[in-house]
Amino acid sequence: MRDAAPANASPAASVPTPPPQVRRANVARAGLVVTILLLAVVTVITLDLPSLERVARGLKNNAVPLLRGFVQPRWEIAPLAFSSMAETFFMAVIGTTIGAILAFPLSFLAAGNLLGGTRFAVPGKTVLVAIRTFPEILLAIIFVAATGPGPTAGIMAMGIHSIGFLGKIFADVIEGIDPGPNEAIRAAGGGALLVFVWSVVPQVLPEFASNVLYRFEINLRAATVLGLVGAGGIGLPLIQRLQFRRWEEVSMLLIVIVAFVIVVDALSGRIRRRLV
Amino acid sequence: MLPEPAATSQIPERPAGQRKVAAATLATFVALFLVSAWQTGFSVGDLATGTGDFFRFFGRMVPDWSYLPKVWGPILETIQIAYLGTLFGTALALPLLFLASANTTTDRVTLAVSRSVLTVLRSIPDLLYAALLAPILAIGPLPGVVALTLFSMAVLAKLGSETVEAADPGPMEAVRATGAGRNRVIVYAVVPQVAATMTSYILYVFEINVRASVIIGLVGAGGIGQDLLARLNFFAYGDVSTIIVVIFVLVLAIDALSVWARSKLI
Amino acid sequence: MIEFRDLEVTYPNGFKALKGIDLTIPKGQFVVIVGLSGAGKSTLIRTVNHLVPPSKGDVVIDGRSVGGANRSELRRIRSKIGMIFQTFNLVKRSSVLRNVLAGRLGHVSPLRGLLGLFSKHDLGLAHESLRRVGIPEKAWQRADALSGGQQQRVGIARALAQQPEVMLADEPVASLDPPTSHAVMSDLKRISREDGITTLVNLHFIDMAREYADRIVGMRDGVIVFDGTPDEATDQAFEDIYGRPIDEEKDLRGAA
Repeated sequence: MRDAAPANASPAASVPTPPPQVRRANVARAGLVVTILLLAVVTVITLDLPSLERVARGLKNNAVPLLRGFVQPRWEIAPLAFSSMAETFFMAVIGTTIGAILAFPLSFLAAGNLLGGTRFAVPGKTVLVAIRTFPEILLAIIFVAATGPGPTAGIMAMGIHSIGFLGKIFADVIEGIDPGPNEAIRAAGGGALLVFVWSVVPQVLPEFASNVLYRFEINLRAATVLGLVGAGGIGLPLIQRLQFRRWEEVSMLLIVIVAFVIVVDALSGRIRRRLV
Repeated sequence: MLPEPAATSQIPERPAGQRKVAAATLATFVALFLVSAWQTGFSVGDLATGTGDFFRFFGRMVPDWSYLPKVWGPILETIQIAYLGTLFGTALALPLLFLASANTTTDRVTLAVSRSVLTVLRSIPDLLYAALLAPILAIGPLPGVVALTLFSMAVLAKLGSETVEAADPGPMEAVRATGAGRNRVIVYAVVPQVAATMTSYILYVFEINVRASVIIGLVGAGGIGQDLLARLNFFAYGDVSTIIVVIFVLVLAIDALSVWARSKLI
Repeated sequence: MIEFRDLEVTYPNGFKALKGIDLTIPKGQFVVIVGLSGAGKSTLIRTVNHLVPPSKGDVVIDGRSVGGANRSELRRIRSKIGMIFQTFNLVKRSSVLRNVLAGRLGHVSPLRGLLGLFSKHDLGLAHESLRRVGIPEKAWQRADALSGGQQQRVGIARALAQQPEVMLADEPVASLDPPTSHAVMSDLKRISREDGITTLVNLHFIDMAREYADRIVGMRDGVIVFDGTPDEATDQAFEDIYGRPIDEEKDLRGAA
């Protein structure tokens, strides 16, 4: 029937088929989605999951008191919560500072445009990325084993991890600077050191500062859990109360953590927006 | 001869405010550092001894490769946890991120509530979620998956809503002009604009989740971290080193894979 | 006086930018160098202060060989040569005054330069330079808060703070709109006149070259193809320099 009608009478008949590369892309995309979902199903089946009764019992015995604690927090442990959160904060300050100070010289070696070119850049960046690969909590475990428990282990772990993170970002910032002002200082009779102080540093400093603050936000979060492995901060009182299922006290500690992190994030975010 | 400058008494002074702000900022940071060092009992000497101890300790950690076959099972579980956490987190974040974007949600109460919830959820690190959920949901991979789901959801919804808010309003207006409601505007005008960026964020969150899933076992939330802690408590440093080397390779491999996938996106 | 003696420059990639330049510029002359991009104008100007070292030949300024200078002598020579750039080359986030003071770096001891400890004399020179380019009130503003024309004036002030005997300007107005371009060019010319500074300017626009130059040098493919007064630089002469009719290339006229 439809074939008999003139072509322009039926819009459907005149729709051109998409070109082959579009069809191939559509098939590939559909295939990808199916693969992702199939993988998820296989994963759920093979994963070692607890029985529903166990989950229900856990929720009833533990989640209910935890939530009740948010409504009626244990104010008696508020002083402990604040003082251990303060320690967490101080740990993050020192860990970030160490990371920033040590990342500074390393990043100039790792940047390909200033010192010695690519000779140092490739090994430099590789080392920085390798450092970054180790989660700080893993480093903290090693430091606790090596030097004993306490905030120093946590600070060292954060410091080392931050060197990797900040060093890589610093190097990227340095590689992105405008070489024009360097040339201007050289043309005015300045040597390498003057070029560095008068052109490179003022160009990179605001971005360095902004990234140090950003790293500080991350480190503060990280520092709240370092205590779980004995590396200082609020994580220690938290894990102790978790082990004894004192959920109302856990809630109090959580409230302090969340409030502190949100306030610091907001402050740091404001400073960062003004910097760049 | 070249002209000499006019009388130096004419040099204008630097505005006082600038110098004060600079001095106050520097003083604040120095004071903050000193107070922190005093409060945590940290000294610069610790830096040297700590590094020394670290490397001495590290030197003893020669990988014991006979442990390697026992690593694969937990490593697979680690990847599975990261995979499911990312997937479920994404599924939950997709509707949420539109609720938290000012240009797709006009109701101010909905916007404020969804944003606040996301801010609170994001302020808790993934390991802390795992530590809280392990006693509730039984030791094993389940609390790990739920922890990473919550964390990924909060991060992706935040990044996603920023992307949506930066989207070009032109196409949205065009679709709205055809008489379409909010959901159609999102599907036809917003999603095509943000899909590529969102996919890249999802891959980024997957990278973070792999790093997180190797450690959440420390608090009983499944994966290789559980074995790491057990071997460490037995002082089996050879086995610990083997696990760390495998973690290192895994994280680098996932990062490389993710970078490759992202390069395919653009 | 600047003498270019049989000057050749070959870049590491093998490109021959200058192929034997012989040119003598008397003291105080305002010379405009014209030519297409890639003709070697920028390279020529940069050989004067050795930002680009010659592969062969030499540049001699007032009898002193630049090529024969050691590092500290080269720095001393550079400190007396002001330079102005197409992209201004200011440190955008630093104050205007700090950018101008950078021109004094070649004149103070390295330690003072590193610490930024400038004498009243240096500060006075910096402010005086800003006054001469007409923006003394901008001293404490951030450089990127200024308009393009003002930023180039800061660039000129930085060069002036050097109390230069020679001024090099590499396409100083190529990033500016025509009225601003004329204002900046007349500033340059006036200062060159007043202080007797030998000035070399690279320009793209032929009308501006005719208007401001004492002498026009035309370059093509690394050699000098024209050298004469603005009166001698007829349209025909420019067509020879550019190697094509100028009427088609309206942008070369650059009239306001």
